[in-house]
Amino acid sequence: MKVSIDWLRQYIDFTCPLGELADGLTMAGLEVEETIQISKAEFAAQGGSGEIDDTVFDIKVTPNRGDWLSMIGVAREVAPLVGEKVRLPEPKVIESEPASSELIEIRIDAPELCRRYVCAVIRNVTVKESPGWLKDRIIAAGMRPINNVVDITNFVMMELGQPLHAFDLSLLHGNQIIVRRAKDSETITSIDESERKLDSEMLVIADHDRPVAIAGIMGGIDSEIGEQTKDILIESANFNSVGIRRTAKRLNMSTDASYRFERGVDPGITVLAALRAAELIAQLGGGEVCKGVVDVYPSPIEPLEVKIRPARVNKILGVSIDAGAMIACLNSLDIESAIDGEAINCKVPTFRPDITHEIDLIEEVGRVYGYDKLPMTLPQGASQGKDSPEGKLRDKLRRILMASGGQEALTHSIVDIGLARVAGREEQSVNLRNPLSEELNSMRVMLAPNLLQVIERNQAFGNQNVCVFEIGKVYFADASGKSSEKLAIAGAVVGNLWERSWGLPAKALDVDFYTCKGILESLFDGLCIQNVKFVEATDPLLHPTRAAKVFVGDREIGILGEAASTALETLGVRGRPCVFELDFHALMETAPQVVTYQEPPRYPAMQRHIAAVVADSIPYAKLVDLIRTAGGGMVEEIELLDVYKGEHIGEGQSSLTLGVVFRSREKTLTDEEVNSVLALIKDALSQGANAIFR
Amino acid sequence: MSENDILQSLRNAALASIHEAKNSAQLDSIETQYLGRKGEITSQLRRIGSLPAEERKDFGQAVNDAKEAVDAAITARREALVSVEADAKFVDEAIDVTMPGRLWHTGRSHILVDTLQRIKEIFIGMGYEFVETPEIEDYKSNFEALNYPEEHPALDEQMSFYITDDTLLRTHTTAFQHQVMSNRKPPMRVATLGKCYRSDAVDATHSHTFHQVDCFTIDRGISMADLKGTIHQFAVEMFGREVNVRFRPDFFPFVEPGAEFSVTCIICGGDGCNVCKGSGFLELGGAGLIHPNILTAHGFDPEEYSGFAFGFGIERMPMLMYGIRDLRLFMENDMRFLRQL
Repeated sequence: MKVSIDWLRQYIDFTCPLGELADGLTMAGLEVEETIQISKAEFAAQGGSGEIDDTVFDIKVTPNRGDWLSMIGVAREVAPLVGEKVRLPEPKVIESEPASSELIEIRIDAPELCRRYVCAVIRNVTVKESPGWLKDRIIAAGMRPINNVVDITNFVMMELGQPLHAFDLSLLHGNQIIVRRAKDSETITSIDESERKLDSEMLVIADHDRPVAIAGIMGGIDSEIGEQTKDILIESANFNSVGIRRTAKRLNMSTDASYRFERGVDPGITVLAALRAAELIAQLGGGEVCKGVVDVYPSPIEPLEVKIRPARVNKILGVSIDAGAMIACLNSLDIESAIDGEAINCKVPTFRPDITHEIDLIEEVGRVYGYDKLPMTLPQGASQGKDSPEGKLRDKLRRILMASGGQEALTHSIVDIGLARVAGREEQSVNLRNPLSEELNSMRVMLAPNLLQVIERNQAFGNQNVCVFEIGKVYFADASGKSSEKLAIAGAVVGNLWERSWGLPAKALDVDFYTCKGILESLFDGLCIQNVKFVEATDPLLHPTRAAKVFVGDREIGILGEAASTALETLGVRGRPCVFELDFHALMETAPQVVTYQEPPRYPAMQRHIAAVVADSIPYAKLVDLIRTAGGGMVEEIELLDVYKGEHIGEGQSSLTLGVVFRSREKTLTDEEVNSVLALIKDALSQGANAIFR
Repeated sequence: MSENDILQSLRNAALASIHEAKNSAQLDSIETQYLGRKGEITSQLRRIGSLPAEERKDFGQAVNDAKEAVDAAITARREALVSVEADAKFVDEAIDVTMPGRLWHTGRSHILVDTLQRIKEIFIGMGYEFVETPEIEDYKSNFEALNYPEEHPALDEQMSFYITDDTLLRTHTTAFQHQVMSNRKPPMRVATLGKCYRSDAVDATHSHTFHQVDCFTIDRGISMADLKGTIHQFAVEMFGREVNVRFRPDFFPFVEPGAEFSVTCIICGGDGCNVCKGSGFLELGGAGLIHPNILTAHGFDPEEYSGFAFGFGIERMPMLMYGIRDLRLFMENDMRFLRQL
């Protein structure tokens, strides 16, 4: 809302500096976003008089305050700031015969969408250029001068907040205005020369034969004012805000009129606005104003009476203001207030439809009193602050993964459905019905594809070594199509994990499946989750022979593997990144809540190496099982020290060097005891895995 | 040559070779050569029998003297050699301390998550319980239960992404109020944080996705003054210095009275700069007392209970605190950006 200061002075007197006025308005809730100076030259360049300089406040109007979309609405907020009264325009009209009602008949067929319909008729008008002063106002308001009649309707709308429409009376068929719902598939060509298809949800202004305006939004081209127009009908009406909003949205139109109707127009100003327009038209375009406006107002709105309790006002605001001061605050806003026993009786003017309850008036008292003057206290009583269980686990996981070298990432949940396709989970994808663009049309099904994208972008930036993780929501549609979301945790690595590694063998530093698995194992370790199993598996996102499902006990909780080459190709990723993704809630449910500490062992450990040649088809996990079973409780730890393939080792076989740590919690083991168990272990390995010892 | 002369020359030869010994290995062999069980000086003692009785005592004494002298010389020389050898070893092992250290990549927090974490800690310290909340919400939780009138222009500020007619991505974390109020009784102090979505084109200062924190409290006697005090305490903790909190009237359907809150510009300290557009204040978020309609709808008598609610966007905080100009950097995950934290 652009407010010309020169214009504003017509309705209220003030002498304070404009900076102070702007601050005062801002602190009252009408944020002055910008102060614009318009010079004489600038007015002249836009067709104005070139006789005045003006300052314009660009004010941000909150959607509850349609009344602020007018000069008098703003003046009413200046009033309490400067302690002056608002002057409303008092149109002086010389009326002549015939009466308006003899020239036009008004009928409201849809009173639920039109509260009031007023019209004034002015005959023998000369449509011409507006005078300089009027053009200055129109320019200052950010509009373009057109002709005297159009400019006057805009002027009055800016002045009083009442949108008006001017019809060429001679183009209305049957001397009739009917305010009715449109018929389905009825059409109208609006003054912007677009043909609009209407339906019965929409309100139109019709003459005897056809719609001549889309009510409260835009007039029709067939009854538009032109240079040859002589007789004018000014419509000043009050339309239902929800109805206007629906129609405007449906037709994809937004006009100064619809903007105001959506926010509410004062039903008490309708006649004044019609007379004001008639006065100005007669003044600037000649012509005679016909006697009496036609006013159809089936159920007049009375000012609402609302009571407020001073004690309640003080309790809610946290202040102690006396009732007299409250009444002064309210009266300064034209809310007539008077003490009535323990309460204050308030008469809410019709231009304030936002006020319906005591709490609304409490806000008004607070506004005029000044939010800035409210004291600062803290709520009484103690309460225990805490994080959610998810939040706690999330922090723990972040710390563990950061310690493993993972950089925390944060990626978008709204993604291209192509990512779900890459992950082979397109059918689970939750899709947006009204996406911003085709690339932003769905919610991520997994985190890992996003992290591969992070790798791709970093490779483009020249960052070849990336180790990232993310904890965040993933979204999925179940079989019935219902959308759900859950937390997931994922990681992706590529390149190597060293920031500086000069002098170390380069090849050995590159991350692979096992580096990624190590990160995952440290995560389980950090959460004290035991009984984790990695089982060979396939997944559309993963390399067909380098992929695993992750289990805790029998519960499948996620995947780990090298990214599939098809996925890498689609995403444009170089190298051979590895990823994992786990269900966050599964971690939460499997991580033990209480961990019992073990005393460190008191007796020494003994270590033995086993060098065994085994077929590649035998999984390592099986060897571990065999050793543990054969070793009874004596095997404390099994470490894979080396894997060798090549010379002296048969095709399809590997030589594994295992370090086995033996320990008892009761005593120091002897060589003989360890050797005999080692012999059992070797037996088990040769029988159970066809191992040959070197 | 007399026995004494022989002894004397052995002693001299031993001392000379000790003096010339280059390392402890040589000293070891010198020791063996002269003082070992079959050493040249030791074996002189065996000749004592061939001497006349009256000379024996003196000769024995002389051999022992010689042994002691040689032994002392070896000990002294050995000590000297240890430090020479150590020096030589150190020279040999010298490194260039100015060469770069080897470093395993350490991970860091994402700057936004780090900010969320800080905010969370402050509110937990003020007695708020954080709860997890869904991002996919129904129209009711996001709008209707928050007192948004049907077809109200206030909805224009909350352009939503819809999944079905009734499900949408929450446009503000305030959507959590309905669930929480439906399941708890006052007094309560509850908070949540997370992603929100609005159908907004992406540029340096706008995105379809952003993060918010929302807190509310319901109890007996909660006032606007409590709200102001709470936000002030948060701002002081967050920015680590005394700041002024400015409240001005604003409109959100779910609060009445409603306010927008600002804090002293942390860039200029309130003098006015281009970040705060000369106002000396930075707008942070929206706040107010929970609308009585909402209390009533959840079965809380507004005559008995009142509450406040406030929420704000997260991205703006690190942008101000670290001088980040482009919002898009947060979700781009360029390691060169993320690793600056």
